[in-house]
This record gives sequence, C-alpha cells and structure tokens, in this order.
Amino acid sequence: MTEPETAWERRIDAVLGIAASALLFGMMCLTFVDVVARYLFNSPIRGGFEITELVLLVLIFAGLPLVSHGDEHVTMDFIDRMLPARAVSALIRVVHALVAALFFFLTWQMLIKAGRIASYGDTTDVLRIAVAPFVYFMVAMIFLTALVHVFKVFKPGTRRASQGTN
Amino acid sequence: MTEALLGLLAMMVLAFVRIPIALSMAVVGIIGYAYMRDWTWGSAFAMAQTKIYETGRNYTLSVVPLFILMGNFVTRAGMSQELFRAAYAFIGHRRGGLAMATIVGCAGFGAICGSSIATAATFAKVAYPSMKRFNYADYLSTGSIAAGGTLGILIPPSTIMVIYGIMTETNIGKLFAAGVLPGILATVLLCLAVQYVTWRDPKAGPPGERTPWRERWATIAGLQWFAAVGVILWLAVHFGKLETDDAAVIGAFVVFVMSLRYKGVAGVIALFTLVMGGIYGGVFTAVEGAGVGAFGAMIFAIARRALGWRGLYEALLESARTTSMLFMILIGALMFAEFVNITSMPADLRNFVSQFEVHPLAVVAAIMVIYVILGTAMEELSMILLTVPLFFPLIVHLGLDPVWFGILIVVVVEIGLISPPVGMNLFVLNTLLPEVPTRTIFRGVMPFVIVDCVRLAILTAFPIISTLLPSYMK
Repeated sequence: MTEPETAWERRIDAVLGIAASALLFGMMCLTFVDVVARYLFNSPIRGGFEITELVLLVLIFAGLPLVSHGDEHVTMDFIDRMLPARAVSALIRVVHALVAALFFFLTWQMLIKAGRIASYGDTTDVLRIAVAPFVYFMVAMIFLTALVHVFKVFKPGTRRASQGTN
Repeated sequence: MTEALLGLLAMMVLAFVRIPIALSMAVVGIIGYAYMRDWTWGSAFAMAQTKIYETGRNYTLSVVPLFILMGNFVTRAGMSQELFRAAYAFIGHRRGGLAMATIVGCAGFGAICGSSIATAATFAKVAYPSMKRFNYADYLSTGSIAAGGTLGILIPPSTIMVIYGIMTETNIGKLFAAGVLPGILATVLLCLAVQYVTWRDPKAGPPGERTPWRERWATIAGLQWFAAVGVILWLAVHFGKLETDDAAVIGAFVVFVMSLRYKGVAGVIALFTLVMGGIYGGVFTAVEGAGVGAFGAMIFAIARRALGWRGLYEALLESARTTSMLFMILIGALMFAEFVNITSMPADLRNFVSQFEVHPLAVVAAIMVIYVILGTAMEELSMILLTVPLFFPLIVHLGLDPVWFGILIVVVVEIGLISPPVGMNLFVLNTLLPEVPTRTIFRGVMPFVIVDCVRLAILTAFPIISTLLPSYMK
C-alpha cells in the first residue's frame, strides 16, 4: 500500500508543518526574551503569557492533522499479530471511519463552543485580543483532521516510524 | 465503583481494536459522564468542550513543547556522543565498562533531555556500534541501552514529571529537584547490574581499551574554569558583594558562554546548571526554564555546527508533532478523569483504606505492585493519566508527600518502559537495531528490570532520598 503521496497531501503537510514550526520557534523566543527582559530590565513583555497561551492552542491543533496523516497517534497493535493481514487492513479502514466520525462530532461541539465565545466577545485580560478567531481556527483544524481520516479510509498509506510518548 | 471499572474495561477494549488511545479515553469519558448525570448529554458535551479548549489554552502546559524542543536540539548537537566518550575514557577499560559507560552517559544525557525514548534512541546509535566492536553480547548492550534510556525521565528535566505535576498541581520545580538523588541511585544500581551480568558471563562484556589520563582530562576540559567561577561567585556572595540570585544568573551565563568553547561534558553541565539551577534557585519558573533551556540548546547546536536551517526546521517540526500527539492523550485522559471523579470510585478507595486501617506504606506498596504489573502490558503515559486521578486523592488523604509519590510514579513508568512484552524502549531498540532478535532484547533487559524493582522498593521505604533536595527549595 505504498502509493506515493499526492501533491495535495504534500502541500497541506508543508503548510501546516511550517506554521507549527514557526509558532513553536516563536513561543521559545518569546519565553526567552521575556525572562531576559524581566531579569535585566525589570520589564517583562506585556501580556506575554497570554500570547503564549494562544500560540499553544494554535500549535497543538495545527499539528493535529499532521499527526493523523502520519498515523502517529498512540495505538495498541497487539491485534495485528492475531489477525491475518487482510483482516488487519480492513480493520484499519473501519477504525479510520470511526475516528473520522468522532472528529466530525468534536468539530460540531467546538463549533458550538466557538460560537458562544464569539457571541460573548471574549478577549484576553491584558492585551484585549479577541479569542474567537483562535477557537475557529481550532475548529477548522479538527475538521481537517476528520477529513484526513476519511481520506485514509480509502488510502491508508504507510505508517511513519511510530514514536513514543515519554 | 463498578462504573469506573467498567469504563476502564470499555476503554481497554476500544484501544485493543486499534482506536487511538486518546480517543478511546475521550469516548468513554464522555459517555460515562453522561451516564453518571442520568444521560444528560448536554452536560457531558459541555465538559468535553471545556476540556479541549482549556487544555489547549493553558500557559503552564507550554512547558511541554519547550522541553521536548530542548531534547530535540541536544540530540542533534551530538552531546550523547561526547558524553559516551567521556564516560568510556574513565570506566571503559573495566569489565563491562562500555555498558557502564552507556548507563553513565545516559544519566548525563538525561540531565538535559526529558525523554526516555529519545535517550535510548540516541544511545542505540552512539553506544551500540562501540559495544559491537568490542564483542559485547547483544543482550548486554541492548539491555543497558534500554535501561539507561529510562534515566532520561528520572533525571530532570522530565516530561512525565511535568505531566504529573500539572495533573496533580504539584510544584514541577520540586519534582525536578526530587529526581536528582534517585537518579544517582539508579545509575549506581544499573552499573551494579552490569557488574553482575559480566560476573556471570565475562565474555558478555569484555573490557575496552585503557585511555591515558591526558585524554581522560580532555573529555572534561573546561570544568576547572567552571569551578573557579563558582568559587569566585560564592566568595562574592559570602562577603556581601552580590545577591545570591544575581550570582546564580551571572554564574549560569558565564559558564554557558565558556562552555561554547569546549567539546565534551562541559556543555551538558552548563546547560543543566542554566536550566535546573535557575528553577531550583527560584530565578525562574519551570515554563521559563524550559524556554531558556530550549534556546540555550539551540545556541549550543548552532555553535557546534550541528544545526543548519534544515535541522532547525526538522527539530521544530518533530517537536510540534510530538506535542500534538501528547496533548491529544492528555485531553482524552482529562475527560476520562472527569468521569471517574464523579463515580464513587475515589471515595470507595478511601473508605476501603480507612475501614481496614491499612498502614499508609502498605497502601503505597500495593499501588506500586499494581503499577508494575499494569506497566508490563500498558502504554505507560496513558496508564499514569488514567490511574493518577484515582490514586492521588488517596495519597493526599493519607497525608503522604505528593512529590515523593511523583518520583515513585516516574520509577514505575521507567520499569514499564523496559518490561516485556510492552515496553516502549524495547520497541525503539527493536526498530533501530533490526539485526538483534526481540527475544535477545527481552532477555537482556531482565537483570535491569530486577534492579529497578529493588530501587522502587528502596525509594518507597526511604522517602528522604526523594524529598531531601526539594526541602531546601524556596
């Protein structure tokens, strides 16, 4: 099942990858500069922690479609050794369909949450940044993740080397 | 109590049929929550929304990606190679010397990297070829790499400690400090295990070549200057010329800049001093320490010409992906925990213990036995995330130290990571060293699993080993 990745897959992977990397880089620099500024000049970056929070939110969910596309979610694979290979690949497709359904469900739930946040006009305390756009971005990413799983029902692809959690 | 156990069972079944663990926990958490609230789905859905949103938007949790990033940078900076070479120079010529050098090297690497798997993976690349060259038996070399790797999460920084700290609202800095002495104990015990193996089978670990003293000193070049800076700053503080905080910051900065000049161990010690010294001394929080550590590690890697644009991008991307994956598990586990918390399970456990007047230490011992058994078959992070909400209230109720319990949790995770059949470190070696049969890896790790269990018993019986250093923290 090692069909080559389509141009679209590569393009989306690259865009999200660059976005997530840039955000993480930004978060690191922000934290570092904040410490230095506070220590040397006694003036921490105003609202620095609010920015970190929002960056973290975007970072996690921008990475989610990548993790799904790379099959990097932590999964137990005992069953692979018990069933014949054909059954395993069928099972994998069924699981992708279920997972897609779950992510569609979560998209719907987070859309409700985002709507509520938007209607309250929630902003951060110090910098008064509107929170809703970030939550809508999150919704979009969960939706994209669901689509990735739908895609994988038809084209399971190969697993990237699985990684640990610890 | 039945509900919680059924929930656990349902989650296991879902995970068994290949549903990602994060989603298995989330689904059972949501359905279980609705069930406990008399099938009011609205409240369960609201709970799910809140957990997803609030876990994502949480300042303290930004410590996770930053420490992961630091680990990825130091892995690329080639520090594991230098640590192994230094440890080899001093003990390589002894019986089993390369295996012990692997363990000591892992301990050093653990001081700048918070991941067991990353530590094991990097040492599989660095130490295994050397051991092969000296005709080490595969079972000893893979065993020592797998076991040494687990030091990555015991010696601070540590991803597991961070997650435990966040879940239980225990001070992460104190957890880090608490890991240092148990980490040294672990290093000694693992080396003793190597000695035992080579005593039984001297051919498994023949001595390496003796390194002349000149070269030995070269591997730790620069440390004399660090010591000098330390003495000068200490004197300055002692005679009232400097505040302690300022001295710590100046010291860390000077040592860091100097260490950019030296190959070898100096860099590791500088980075460790910068991050852990800062957190231990109360100069910055764990999040800030992680940010400074990641930035420092990046400077190191660049200074050693080990990090170009491509490497920088890959390190960032790898860390971002790992972060997303970890957060999914975290969110799933938090939903499951919400469900368990409204069942009668936590109260039932408490009543059970007080009813039979079980000695607190016996309770902890029983919990540890459960963990060691669960750890052989379960993925460790989800095991901790699922069970800590159950056991932690009990620990608080019994008046036990959460920091100490945290260290015990880390140790059971370490054991779980190397105990067959399901141990992440063993899988990593299996993937990286396909020429070594799985059976050999399983056999080789057993003596180390046994000394790890001994260590767990020692740490359970003597809490002071874990609590001594944090007790000096502000």
